[in-house]
Amino acid sequence: MANADQGIIAIFRYLDTVCHAIEKVRDRSEFAGHEVFSPTSYHEIEHSSGFGASPVRFFTLAGALTGVTAGFALALWTDYDWPIVVSGKTPGIYSFPAYVVIGFECMILFGAIATILGMLVMGRIPNPKRAVLDPRTTSDRFAIFVPGAKLDGPQAKLLREWGAEEVKLTGGAQ
Amino acid sequence: MANVSSQVHWEKTISEVNDEILVNLEKPHKSFYVALGMAASLLLAGVVFVGLHTVYGLGLWNFAPPLYWAVDITNFVFWVGIGHAGTLISAILFLFRAQWRNTVNRSAEAMTIFAVICAAIFPLIHMGRMYLGAYWALPLPNTNNLWVNFRSPLLWDVFAITTYFTTSLLFWYMGLVPDLASIRDRSKGIKRLVYGVMSFGWRGTAKQWWHYEAGYGFLAALATPLVLSVHSVVSWDFAMSIQPGWHTTIFPPYFVAGAILSGCAMVFNLLIPVRYMFRLEKFILPQHLDACLKLTLFTSTIVFYAYGVEFFLAWYSGNEYEWAIFEKRAIGPYAFYFWVMVFCNCIFPLAFWSRRVRASIPVSFVICVLINVGMWFERYNIIISSLVEDFIPGSWGHFEPGLFEIVITLGSFGLFFVFYLIFCKLFPIISLSEIKLIMPKPLSPHHADKKDKDGGHHG
Repeated sequence: MANADQGIIAIFRYLDTVCHAIEKVRDRSEFAGHEVFSPTSYHEIEHSSGFGASPVRFFTLAGALTGVTAGFALALWTDYDWPIVVSGKTPGIYSFPAYVVIGFECMILFGAIATILGMLVMGRIPNPKRAVLDPRTTSDRFAIFVPGAKLDGPQAKLLREWGAEEVKLTGGAQ
Repeated sequence: MANVSSQVHWEKTISEVNDEILVNLEKPHKSFYVALGMAASLLLAGVVFVGLHTVYGLGLWNFAPPLYWAVDITNFVFWVGIGHAGTLISAILFLFRAQWRNTVNRSAEAMTIFAVICAAIFPLIHMGRMYLGAYWALPLPNTNNLWVNFRSPLLWDVFAITTYFTTSLLFWYMGLVPDLASIRDRSKGIKRLVYGVMSFGWRGTAKQWWHYEAGYGFLAALATPLVLSVHSVVSWDFAMSIQPGWHTTIFPPYFVAGAILSGCAMVFNLLIPVRYMFRLEKFILPQHLDACLKLTLFTSTIVFYAYGVEFFLAWYSGNEYEWAIFEKRAIGPYAFYFWVMVFCNCIFPLAFWSRRVRASIPVSFVICVLINVGMWFERYNIIISSLVEDFIPGSWGHFEPGLFEIVITLGSFGLFFVFYLIFCKLFPIISLSEIKLIMPKPLSPHHADKKDKDGGHHG
């Protein structure tokens, strides 16, 4: 089985250089499946990669709607399921205004949990099959990983031309 | 566009962030261990007294009906309030793009988590047997198959605090994930494995950052109404009753402002020692501390205004019972607590109008400690003065905290500081990935030349 980490990784030092490279890499077929690494969430990289609105928002919406429904349902159902008359409380006295608080808090709770799940699912983590390609990318370096490429291939040459300070092999070929 | 960060002079570059912040975690200043020891002994005293309390029951407290949970509920409100500034800084200031937050948000969020833990312990202590209390707080039917009362602010509070704790924890942990990956990439062996698992195998790809940023924004947007709702719900514990002194509509905004005031002061009180112990002076810059103090000053003036309005409304309502409570607070047996509260929360913080006071760390630190004292006294003052006089004059009395109340309160501070200091040792107390965002961007020398030639309109 081919290792997903096999290929070349080009290390970049500067944000503007890597952004130019991303713009060039994006539409070229020989770079298909490439990944960009960044130490933090620079918006320049997001723009260069041509990302739109993240689908995480649908997770948040679904979670929040589930939450508000669940909160109201819980409170209303306990009213419905009231077995004896105590303090004049018979089944079927529904105090909607009081339950707004319960509905609201459950909306936030479910929405927050769904947002985290959305981030994990969309970011494809945790994924034990993928390794850390270069430890510098969580410190101060940017990188572009091209799967299946070779050090003497055309991709490596182009990446060097676009300002990579280092190009090296990754995965099993190391 | 003028913003704080463009005026900040950074001596450091993003390449130095990981190296310098993480190295200091491994070798903190000696004072760290002294502080940890002090906090641990406070905690130990608290644990012993809570243990006695669990064995012998509520009779150990200095209480007499109608006053059942005087200092318990005071501490609960105080600690929930402390937590609020953490969420304000991490969520609301994030939405406002206030850049100074990126240096302090991690410590503020950690403060939130630990403060809410301290708060949640007090209702459990109050219920006597803590292990049973936790069960009773759940929305489960009792032995008569009757459900909990969803019309009660106390149950709203259970939902609000549970949601608040969970959401704060998620928000805080989400921020930690990229930083845990940074630690992983610096370590070897078992430490690498532990941090790798804790970071969910974060790789830092552009796609992951894209979803991460979106998720972070949504969490901030969810946490913002949440933080306002939580202390409103806490205030409804009081305001929804018909007790004179409590039954007023000003309570929710008044409590929220007070919570943020005490929380901002606590953030400052925590930042100063941590900045010293972990040698972060080059990352938490004077401008960032100054912004925190300005926020403290701002919320202090709101609290000042709320105190005034509360008094005015008590008089203007024409309700003699309401006015009697306020008289008792200001010039009666609780006047000491009242005036400590007024001076600490309203008068002393006015010194922050002066730039020289804000620039002086020792003076600011003392004022922030006083604000926290004042905010504790505020809750005490509100709760005790109304509680000791219910609707049966025959049971009216006076209350002063006894040994158990005082030791358990100090114990909760011990718990808070122990958690906080251990956190500082194990995790980066400054968000590595977020501080990089407000530092100068790593642009190529070529880019800088081009920018000059463009005449500055570029970027």
